[in-house]
Amino acid sequence: MSNSFENILVNENYEGNSGITLITLNRPKVLNALNTQTLKEITTALCTTKSHVIILTGNDKAFAAGADIRQMLEAKPSDQINDEREKLWKEFNNFPYPIIAAVNGFCLGGGHELAMACDIIISGDNAKFGQPEINIGTTPGAGGTQRFTRTIGKSRASYYAMTGEMFTAVEAKDWGLVTKVVPYRTTIRESLEAAKKMAIKSPMALRLIKEGIQASFNTTLDEGLKLERRNFYLTFSLEDQKEGMNAFLEKRAPNYQGQ
Amino acid sequence: MSYQYLKIKNDNGTSVITINRPEVYGALNFDSKMEIIRAIREAGKDESVRSLILTSEGKAFCSGQDLNDRNVQGNEGKKVDLGHTLETEWNPLINSIRESKKLIIGAINGVAAGAGLSVAMACDLIVAAPKVKFVSGFSQLGLAPDAGSSFTFVKALGYQKTLEFFLFNQPLYSEDLQLAGLINFIAENPLEAAEEMAAKINLMAPLSLELIKKNLQGAQEVSFRDSMEKETVTQRFLGASGDYQEGLKAFFDKRKPQFKGI
Repeated sequence: MSNSFENILVNENYEGNSGITLITLNRPKVLNALNTQTLKEITTALCTTKSHVIILTGNDKAFAAGADIRQMLEAKPSDQINDEREKLWKEFNNFPYPIIAAVNGFCLGGGHELAMACDIIISGDNAKFGQPEINIGTTPGAGGTQRFTRTIGKSRASYYAMTGEMFTAVEAKDWGLVTKVVPYRTTIRESLEAAKKMAIKSPMALRLIKEGIQASFNTTLDEGLKLERRNFYLTFSLEDQKEGMNAFLEKRAPNYQGQ
Repeated sequence: MSYQYLKIKNDNGTSVITINRPEVYGALNFDSKMEIIRAIREAGKDESVRSLILTSEGKAFCSGQDLNDRNVQGNEGKKVDLGHTLETEWNPLINSIRESKKLIIGAINGVAAGAGLSVAMACDLIVAAPKVKFVSGFSQLGLAPDAGSSFTFVKALGYQKTLEFFLFNQPLYSEDLQLAGLINFIAENPLEAAEEMAAKINLMAPLSLELIKKNLQGAQEVSFRDSMEKETVTQRFLGASGDYQEGLKAFFDKRKPQFKGI
């Protein structure tokens, strides 16, 4: 436990599982509205963690219900440009290991964009997703027209970003935005089960997979395949690869060192 | 917290919500629907409440939409949008019953018609008085059944029987619906019978009740495989709960468990 943060709680080695950190957004009064300070605390926690699997969650009512409208109301374009948010989002994206979003309740606007920036979304059945910026005369600003479109398709993304309507966890799963829908009481528990499966894998391999999958959004297929192949070759220079293959042949559980 | 159209009584861990509009046979206008939603939410948050009963004062349970509500009439040259009435009034009402963490027992004292049928059928457990009439009635007005009744009845009665029920508006009686599996018990005094059932429920483990309700609702909509996966996730969660430890201990100690919802 290191809780020098105001807006988030950080549990290193969550429930005694080494390599797994639980980050909980903790501004329940404002449904975890994502102000710059909170974003900064998340990236700071990611910079300092020794874990190679992260679970990011909110509370039962809200994962995060968008950006802080109070903070934005007074803002000028120059404030937005000078704001560190863009840099912070980049830092978040650059975290090399898997981040699981454990989503319950409202997951809207900036909160939805934060969930989409994670690698995996496990959702409680009470979750409501959406990009409601249009309802307050603005637009998504951190992936709500980009990651959203690439994940669920143009027509659907347009509909939801342009009407501001919310959609459910089950719909999100049908469209490939969400990995798994579980009873909301069990969301953290199930996310932990998924995290445990990853935590015992080679951290280096996890990292290379994340790099490859992220690249699939940014590059051509040829470039992506090239990167993937190079990363595959690269694993053969790792001790983890030797350990994994030896363990397989010796019919024992591997013990990865992240080397 | 005051209610204009409802009577609320909290007793022995059960909140009894009574629709108090006997003069219009329990028809619901905008405000009364919002009051029911509010009452269910309040009871949901109240830790001293373990179960709810929904019933009605007078001869009828609920005769559906109050047609005196201006927004369903379309006068003054304005077109009505009944879709809006569903989206903003009926569907949220039905969802508040289905999505409540606590079990809601319908004590159906008299006729349930139109969307009132959906309100009755949304309840988790249903006790009805003998020979109570259940009528759809929509086709008579040139409309189609709404607020979930298509789903509920076609699952229970099958396609042809449901179509007959919806088209010709002949009532089905409590006895018929009990045979179809939609009603649990028939009792001369449904409220009393509902309270007895509630007393049993109030002793059970809250998390287990909540998740059993969720999983059964889910099972009506998903594949066998998905349903099993939900059960697995649920059991992993409940297996780690304090109430399960208590349940096991009580079983071996041969005593009644004391569940705490943890």
